[in-house]
Amino acid sequence: MKNPYATQTAKLIKITNQAPNIKLFRFDLDKKLDFSPGQIIFLSIPGFGEAPFAPCNPLETDFLELCVRKVGKLTQILHKLKIGDSVGIRGPYGQGWPLFSHCESINGWTKQSQSISTKLPHDHNIRNNKIKNLMLVVGGLGLIPLRTLLWGKNKFLPNETKIQIFYGAKTPDDFLFKNDYAEWKEQGIDLKLTIDKECPGWNECVGVVTALFNKNMISPNAIAFLCGPPIMYKFVLEKLKEKNLPDENIYLSLERRMHCGIGVCQHCAIGSFYTCKDGPIFRYDKIKNIPNAI
Amino acid sequence: MNQKELQKFISYLVDNYQVFAPQEEEKKVIIKEISSAKTAALTSQLPFFSWKKFFVPEKEIMFSFKNSALIQNGAEKSSQIALLGVNILDLRSILLYDAVFANDPYYQKQRKNTLIIGYGPEVKLTDGALRKIETEDLKCLPFDIFLYNINQGAKDQKYNIFSATEKGKKILSEIDYKDYTEIKFIGHKYNSFLEEKKNLRREKLKNNHIQKIWDELGKICLECGKCAIACPTCFCFKINDCPELTEGAGERARCWDSCFYSEFSEVAGPVSPAGEKPKFLKNTAQKIHFWYYHKFARIPDEYNMMGCVGCHRCVEVCPVGINIEEVMEEVEKS
Repeated sequence: MKNPYATQTAKLIKITNQAPNIKLFRFDLDKKLDFSPGQIIFLSIPGFGEAPFAPCNPLETDFLELCVRKVGKLTQILHKLKIGDSVGIRGPYGQGWPLFSHCESINGWTKQSQSISTKLPHDHNIRNNKIKNLMLVVGGLGLIPLRTLLWGKNKFLPNETKIQIFYGAKTPDDFLFKNDYAEWKEQGIDLKLTIDKECPGWNECVGVVTALFNKNMISPNAIAFLCGPPIMYKFVLEKLKEKNLPDENIYLSLERRMHCGIGVCQHCAIGSFYTCKDGPIFRYDKIKNIPNAI
Repeated sequence: MNQKELQKFISYLVDNYQVFAPQEEEKKVIIKEISSAKTAALTSQLPFFSWKKFFVPEKEIMFSFKNSALIQNGAEKSSQIALLGVNILDLRSILLYDAVFANDPYYQKQRKNTLIIGYGPEVKLTDGALRKIETEDLKCLPFDIFLYNINQGAKDQKYNIFSATEKGKKILSEIDYKDYTEIKFIGHKYNSFLEEKKNLRREKLKNNHIQKIWDELGKICLECGKCAIACPTCFCFKINDCPELTEGAGERARCWDSCFYSEFSEVAGPVSPAGEKPKFLKNTAQKIHFWYYHKFARIPDEYNMMGCVGCHRCVEVCPVGINIEEVMEEVEKS
C-alpha cells in the first residue's frame, strides 16, 4: 500500500528575495510535480515538521517554486537553508482554481491533470459559456497561488479572456513577483495596484484593495477569484455583490491548519469539507452558509 | 459453546496471540493483557476506556529520520494481537476506523494482525442503560468470531458462536469446534430508527444552525478534551516531529489530538496583542460545535454513519456534566 505521507526529495537550487521576509525558493525534483494552479503541496523538513504551500512556478518548468514568508517554526528554518540543501515534498493535494473547461483547447490539459492528481468535482469546472473574463482580487501573499495560472494563461484560459487584477499590499516593497509584471502587462493583463498608506514616490492607488473597485470598471461577464486574508474577503464580497456578481461565479482560497493533507486528521475541516481535499479553492455559494467558514 | 469449551478457546488464543480482554480493577472495567484463560472476564459492562488505542494508537511512529532523510517505520513484523470480548458499541466504532483509514498503510498493517472476538448481545453502560443487538444484525459488525451469550446473567453461561472471516473459521477448526454459524459481513447498516436519527441530526446541524445552543455549551465547557479521549470514534490526530540530540535525527509521529485544544486550528501569522496566534476555532462555542458537527454531520456525509456509537463515555468523563444525548435532543427539537 502506497504511503500517502512519504515525501520525495527536493534540492534547493535558487533563492531570490521577493519582499521583506519573503523569499522565492526554487527546487529541483527527482520526479516532476504535476499540479493544477491553486493546489497545495506539503513541504517537510525532518525535525521541524511539515506545512502546506501553494506552488507558484510556471507549469512547463521542471523545477518547483515556493514563495514563502518567514512567519513560523518551519519557515524560519527554510529561510536559513542554502543552495544544495534538501527538503521533502508530498502532494499535490486539493482542488485548485476552476479551469475554463468549456474551452476545447484546454480539455486535454484537464484530463491529463485529473489522471495525475485529484479529480476536480463536476461543479468546480466552469461551464457557463457567458463567462468570458477573469477578475483576480488579491491581498498580500495571495498572488502566490495565482502565479502559475497567470504564466499559463494561454493554456488555461480561452484566448479572448481578459484578466484584470486588483492587488493590494501594505507598502510598495510588499508586492510579490515584481519582475513578472512587465511581461504580464505585455500579454494584456490589466494589473491595478494599491497600497495601504501614502508612501513617497507612489503614484498609484492608495487604500485597501476595495479602493480599486471605486476607481476602475470591472470587466463584464467576469468570474472572480479571491485570494488574500479573510478580512479582505468580507469587504471584497460586499463589492462584488454591489456589482451583481452571482455567488457561483466567485471562488476563494481558504486557509486552515493542516496536518495530513488527505482529509483525515480533521484540522482543516470547514463544515463537511476539508480545505486540504475539497479546497483550498472553494466556490463561494458552497461555503457561504457554513458558520465561520470565512 | 459451554464454559469448558470457552476455556479451551481462550487458552488457544493466549498460546498464539497477545490477548487483551476486559477485566475488573478497582470497580472499573478496563482492558488489559491476559496471560491465561483464568484471568479473562467476559462481561457485558462497558469498559471505561474503549478499544481505540489498538486501532488508532495514542502515538504512532510513522517515520524515523537520519541525516534528515525519512525512513518509513513499520517494516518489521507487527505483533499478532487478539481482542477478546469487544462489545457491540465498540465494534461499531471499528466500522468507522476501517472506513476512515481504508488507505492508511499503518492502520491496515496492524488491522490485518488484529483478531477481533466480539461479545454480546448486551452491553451495559455506566449509567445503567442497556444496549442489545439482534442476531440478524450481527452481519453489520466487524468481527472474526462473535460470542453470543444465550443466558447472560445465569451461572452456567452458554454461547452461540458466529464467525464472519476465514481467520475466525480457521481458529475454530484448530480447537476442533464445529457448532458455529457462518455469517457474511455486509458492512455498516443502521436499523430504521438509527437511520432516521442520523438523517434528522445531520439535517438539523447542516441547515438549521442555532448559535444559542453552542453559546450556552460554550459557557460551561472547560475545553479539557476528556470527551475526545474517552470517545471511541474521536480519531483526529496531529503529526509531530520529535528530534533527537543528534542533528538531523529523530522521529515523525502521529499522535491523538483534540479539537478542544488551542493549537488545533492555529496557523502561522502575526501574533495578537494578547500573544495569541491566529486560529480558526476562536472560542469554546466554536470548538464544541466543531466536535458535534464532526460526529453528526461530517462523518454521516462522508461515511453514511454517525460518529457516535451511543456509549456515553463522554457523559461519564465530562467534569461539567454535558450530556451528548440531551444536546442532540435539543438539536433534534430545534
